[in-house]
Amino acid sequence: MDSKYGRKDLSTDVLIVGGGIAGLSAAVSIKEHDPDLNVLVVEKQTAGYSGKANKGGGVLQYFDLERIRPEDFVAYHVHSVGCYLGDQELMTKYVSMNHVLLDKLVEWGAKLPKNMDGSYCVTPTGPMTAMIGVDLDITLKVRQTAERKGVKFIDKVAVSDLITEDGRVTGATGFSILDGTFYTFSAKAVVLATGSQNYRIGPMWSSGRGDGIAMAYRAGAQLRNPEFGNFAQLVKVNSHSECVFGENYMYNCAGENITKNFRFFPEADISSSAVAEWFLQMSAARGPITLRLDEDRSNNALMSLWDRPFGKQFWKLNHSRAAEVDVDNEVCPMFIGEQSPVRVDHDMMTTIKGLYAIGDVSYCGSAAPGAVPAPPGRNRGSGILNAVFAGVVCAESTCKTARSNELVPLDEKKVEASAERVYAPLSRETGCTAKDVIRLIQRAVGPVEQSVYMSAHRIAIALKYVNKAKELAKTLKAVDFHDLIACHEAEAMVLCAEMQFRASDMRKESRGWFLREDYPDMDNKGWLKWIIVQNRDGDMVFSTEDVPYKKWKVQPYID
Amino acid sequence: MIDTRHKIIFDPEKCVGCQLCYKACFVDVIRWDSENKKPIFKYVEDCEHCYWCEAICKRGCIRVIAEYESESLLQNFDCYR
Repeated sequence: MDSKYGRKDLSTDVLIVGGGIAGLSAAVSIKEHDPDLNVLVVEKQTAGYSGKANKGGGVLQYFDLERIRPEDFVAYHVHSVGCYLGDQELMTKYVSMNHVLLDKLVEWGAKLPKNMDGSYCVTPTGPMTAMIGVDLDITLKVRQTAERKGVKFIDKVAVSDLITEDGRVTGATGFSILDGTFYTFSAKAVVLATGSQNYRIGPMWSSGRGDGIAMAYRAGAQLRNPEFGNFAQLVKVNSHSECVFGENYMYNCAGENITKNFRFFPEADISSSAVAEWFLQMSAARGPITLRLDEDRSNNALMSLWDRPFGKQFWKLNHSRAAEVDVDNEVCPMFIGEQSPVRVDHDMMTTIKGLYAIGDVSYCGSAAPGAVPAPPGRNRGSGILNAVFAGVVCAESTCKTARSNELVPLDEKKVEASAERVYAPLSRETGCTAKDVIRLIQRAVGPVEQSVYMSAHRIAIALKYVNKAKELAKTLKAVDFHDLIACHEAEAMVLCAEMQFRASDMRKESRGWFLREDYPDMDNKGWLKWIIVQNRDGDMVFSTEDVPYKKWKVQPYID
Repeated sequence: MIDTRHKIIFDPEKCVGCQLCYKACFVDVIRWDSENKKPIFKYVEDCEHCYWCEAICKRGCIRVIAEYESESLLQNFDCYR
């Protein structure tokens, strides 16, 4: 098959899709394990600049392992955050490796502010948690390290489909976003590092558009915990800049401290109950909701905690421009998403042989966090470190797979079918735009009473928008290759939103971040279960699986 | 965000063609004109006002003007804005 836009056929031992911090960490780790393997990173934009690690607060989770044991943190997390839905073994491994991961980042060139005596500058955030800083050139530094170790990069190519044979991944297809050239990649192992689904709402989260989730779903991989894709953050209403920890200082128009209505002791991070409280106050005409200026400990404070010269230039611009329009301290929640449901085992392998998924494409799918969306959901500073953790732990198994597998020629029929699907929006004479579809999806997920503080009735409203978008997406039309990416992202958003709301409708309880007005209690008798989604011949099939909590140390209370 | 009205002001006289703004744009707003060795701000309607292009430009060629009001918060209480 020859694409009318040209075709390039490439092969590699390991194909990594996505050049953010997860993909880069995996690339370097794989080369450290086996320098002879060919590793290729393919990135839709530019590896080292993409992803979220270089756009946030530059924060890493830190555990003082001389003061607390990993199992102490896990016990706290299971009771207070993950609410018995998490894989305690995997979470323990993550905490135990905290200092190893930080040392790796330093070795790979990342700049972590230190004290005069060489120790990290640590800022405690609670009895169990602390943060340290990292400068925002972290991804650029790790890319440079990867290049030095012989990792190859292709930028501006969007990977669109995985190709499988007898239950094993054999490669992938994609297209150049610049000139449309069709790419095939034959690979012995494939690592998805494409980030979460964030529906193009929160600016810094906008690179997560669900590409990898949709690819894995179409290829038949199992997805787990799709309903925990509903993270939201308080933002200033004018500039939409985030107010990290602002939930601790919320006041209504009567001057009442409303944080007291949902928070009885210091918590690690924002909770869905803060979002619900905002909605309830606004519904009762007690808005606007503001942060007390004298108590505000949001972004500006974080910026000045550590010396991070590279990041400072971006934060300064962001904060000064936001300050020009933020005439007061009114806040509201902004839906973010962070859906990350690709199911992986402890080696980060998906249910498809040879296919791995790391970072924010598989955080909830790994089950490590339990009943909470991907980082930073209630675990501030864990986003980058979880991505590094997944990249490091996948390396050994990925190398083993790549060494034992042969390169299999891609099935040309499957390649042709993929090309047809990829370019279909360009060949339609008429149709809807990607933004027509995305607008509908945003109307489903955006209002927090539909996606965060849920009820059966409001989930049904959201699903109406999703179903409308699903119908409309059949007629997507693209005018150029930039638009073609948006069409595929719109399709991924439809898939992700559908599984999000259908799974949310199934879970008839409240647990951790998951909050339903009509089922306000945690149901340990009926719902110590994971929701699993799988594509079966085009049908989105849902099932449940009992959480094997009995084999772990921290036990739920079941009356 | 979609349907925004952010603006990007660019001074081609100061630009030395280093490509950093093109590489830094994570949402494909900026394309590269290899003939003239200058960025093309081709899809400004998709700008997420991350300010990376402006901050990373050592020559000060770029200014992003975010029109925050064009970004929808998607909440049913937008009337409070």
